[in-house]
Amino acid sequence: MAEKVAALTGNDNYFEDFVAGSRMRHARGTTVGEVENQLMTKLVMNTADAHFNEQRMAATPFGHRLVFGLITGSIVIGLATQDTAENALAEVGLDRLMFRAPVFHGDTLTAYTEVLETRDADRDDAGIVRFKHWGLKQDDTVVFEGEREVLVKRRSHWGTR
Amino acid sequence: MADPDFSTFPLRARGHAYEDFADGQCFDHHWGRTLGQADATLFATAALRFTPLYFNDEYARACGHPGIVVDPLLVLCTVVGLSVEDLSEAGGPFLGIGPVRFLLPVYPGDTLTARSEVVARRQSEKRPGFGIVTWRTEGRNQRGQIVVTCERTNLVARKAPR
Repeated sequence: MAEKVAALTGNDNYFEDFVAGSRMRHARGTTVGEVENQLMTKLVMNTADAHFNEQRMAATPFGHRLVFGLITGSIVIGLATQDTAENALAEVGLDRLMFRAPVFHGDTLTAYTEVLETRDADRDDAGIVRFKHWGLKQDDTVVFEGEREVLVKRRSHWGTR
Repeated sequence: MADPDFSTFPLRARGHAYEDFADGQCFDHHWGRTLGQADATLFATAALRFTPLYFNDEYARACGHPGIVVDPLLVLCTVVGLSVEDLSEAGGPFLGIGPVRFLLPVYPGDTLTARSEVVARRQSEKRPGFGIVTWRTEGRNQRGQIVVTCERTNLVARKAPR
């Protein structure tokens, strides 16, 4: 492309910048509503109307539509993405995803991350970073946690390209 | 009384109960889903997936791809979504998702299908009306290549009476 790709992403989140044990509270939160839950749940073909039938859910102990857990997880990882994968070449996998409390329309999610491990990859220009993520809602209840591995560019190879 | 009397219309029920699952049982899930550029961009932006790999074709080409990569979280959500009617719609909430591996990139225009196998089932000790079932689900592209695998465990309602 015409300009350098490195100019499109930050310079503080290459593989070399991640240190096991470091922690971060991500800058932004997001309130979840019709777009995040109803639209995205249907977009991914989840047919369970517990996520989009308010009238039926009012008659259950939950009282309201539940946000689809993988949408909650995607948004929590999303809130962490600029800091953890803006310079990713690929996301490798996830593990130990737990959905610890229900999320409802109107709840606001924030994200926290710890770097668990960094290691070499099978290519020279990137390394693997393993993260632990937590998602909280406005009353500080942990609603989601999970681990994630990302293949992140090395500044030594990509920082001036 | 309403005419017609809607209370007499039989319910076309969907989903499966705990007793419907057997160890090793396989499900080829319905429909499939072609993921387009708009799907990929909508998902990645609405989920705040702020890396240009998922929404900038030129950047993705510079990283060795033919264009944007479909957000792997959209791939996972879609493969799980396609499995919901067979596995968890009638049942109960997620308890957890185990190892998820993103094996190959997915590009706009690719068509995903989903298949699952029952890997474990047991009755819930805490909740007598429920069982706990674990499935291994895989998503394939239109060439039959596995692009994602995951294991998930749900609470699944038993058949009435509770």
